Amino acid sequence: MSPFHFDSLVWHWPIAIYLFLAGISAGAICFAVLLKHFKLGKNAYKSSFVRAACLIAPLAVFAGLGILVIDLTKPFDFWKILVFYNPTSVMSIGVAVLLIYQVALFAWLACLFKEPILKWCNNRWPVVDKVLNAFTKWEATITGLLVILALGLGAYTGFLLSALTTFPMLNNPVLPLLFLISGISSGAAGTLLGGVLMKGNPDGKEVHFIHNIEIPLILLELALLFTFFVGLILTGGQSQAAALNAIGEGFWGWIFWGGVVVVGLAMPLAFNLFMTASAKRKFSYVAITASCSLFGVLLLRNFILYTGQMTVA
Amino acid sequence: MKKERRQFIKGACASAFGVACVSGLGIAKSNAHKDKNETNCKYALIHDENKCIGCDACSVACREANDVPDGVSRLEIEREGPFGEYPNQFYRFTRKSCQQCEGKPCVNVCPTGAAYHDPSTGIVSVDEWKCVGCLYCIAACPYQIRFINPVTKAADKCDFCKETRLKEGRQPACVEACPTKALTFGDLKDPHSQVVEVLKATPNYRSKTELGTRPKVFRIASQEGEIKL
Repeated sequence: MSPFHFDSLVWHWPIAIYLFLAGISAGAICFAVLLKHFKLGKNAYKSSFVRAACLIAPLAVFAGLGILVIDLTKPFDFWKILVFYNPTSVMSIGVAVLLIYQVALFAWLACLFKEPILKWCNNRWPVVDKVLNAFTKWEATITGLLVILALGLGAYTGFLLSALTTFPMLNNPVLPLLFLISGISSGAAGTLLGGVLMKGNPDGKEVHFIHNIEIPLILLELALLFTFFVGLILTGGQSQAAALNAIGEGFWGWIFWGGVVVVGLAMPLAFNLFMTASAKRKFSYVAITASCSLFGVLLLRNFILYTGQMTVA
Repeated sequence: MKKERRQFIKGACASAFGVACVSGLGIAKSNAHKDKNETNCKYALIHDENKCIGCDACSVACREANDVPDGVSRLEIEREGPFGEYPNQFYRFTRKSCQQCEGKPCVNVCPTGAAYHDPSTGIVSVDEWKCVGCLYCIAACPYQIRFINPVTKAADKCDFCKETRLKEGRQPACVEACPTKALTFGDLKDPHSQVVEVLKATPNYRSKTELGTRPKVFRIASQEGEIKL
């Protein structure tokens, strides 16, 4: 069986990239919120890391949606998804969550960058002042909305696949959690990589803060991955066949053990522990760790999507 | 700070409640559908695998009646075999087409409602215009019988000839074309229909019922061939 072409394959790699981008957007904005509320406060917008996260979150979501639309067989009819809703469809609920998420995202970004925006406007448009003041008044509510919607978006990427009873490996209750956690850790990695590329201090308090959250996230992801496959193997039947086919010998087995487990999880974990123990963080350490983590999450999405569709119930 | 925290929690709860409501509603609705499905007419089909000779007259007739383009098909006969030694050799034939599920996994996942369950006939159909081609239904169908029609770019599949033969008051094209009368079509809700009579009299099975699909295509198992474990 060719790793990229087989009879039961329906969704190709663009969907994996879309799932990756939705996850990284949700993760990045979670870290922007955390950094603002626990570390930086009012001056959060000056931090390169927060700025990176605030660039990644909307751009990733737009790019993901763009890929999704182009991947339709009728791209120009995409508006029908926005007009017609089906409450039993995970995709339909996901589209609704994505739309509200984007509104909350931009409202929160407006609160975060209130000062520079007002400075730039220089009282030219009094409407802007009014809107921003109204947002600021409701900032805590907007933040609450945004965090839950971001978590919902991250989990949705998993539910989208786990709704498919056709494929026993995808129809798995652990999948949404696995994708949520790996999406959040990709958001952390994206924020770190973007931050240091935007001349952020690699030994700054933002990096220390994110690394402290990243270590338990990676451990949790490993535990979820373990549960995911052990659960499938213990279920027996086609679930077991699907799991063994995926992580056994072959192209995707190599991707899983080498790419997802070693490069994507074990190496970032080792680097993070090493950096926590050693004194100073350097640009190269932070950038390489984050790149490994991002690469691993992207591979995980492709691995699950392709191997998941190989075995039919 | 305290007020802000309260506001944050309120926002979080409001959105969590919203998301939970929408998805909860969806799941509740999919359960409620069970009752709504109860209509006066439910078309079903029986494929007698003993009578089938694998001549493909059904799939040819289907292509013609429903204008199915080359390269894709709504109906195929899959063959397995040969079993046994010459001259006592046998093939097994199974019908690959829409199973007209009452559990309708394709309808449940369709984001626009293009895949729908017709309440007056019980037939699962596709609204070509509403379909955007996201392929979700194709992935969700455990029987893998859905495809993208290269002409309309919409998802397509067998609809028991709902738009063609049934409208003319005739039987589905495959049923009419079958030379050995291996196919029986009719209304499950009519206690005197031929399908009900055959189903009551003959042991039959359906494919992948363990997935909760409740298909309306019944099969009478082939007596020939080897016993499979």
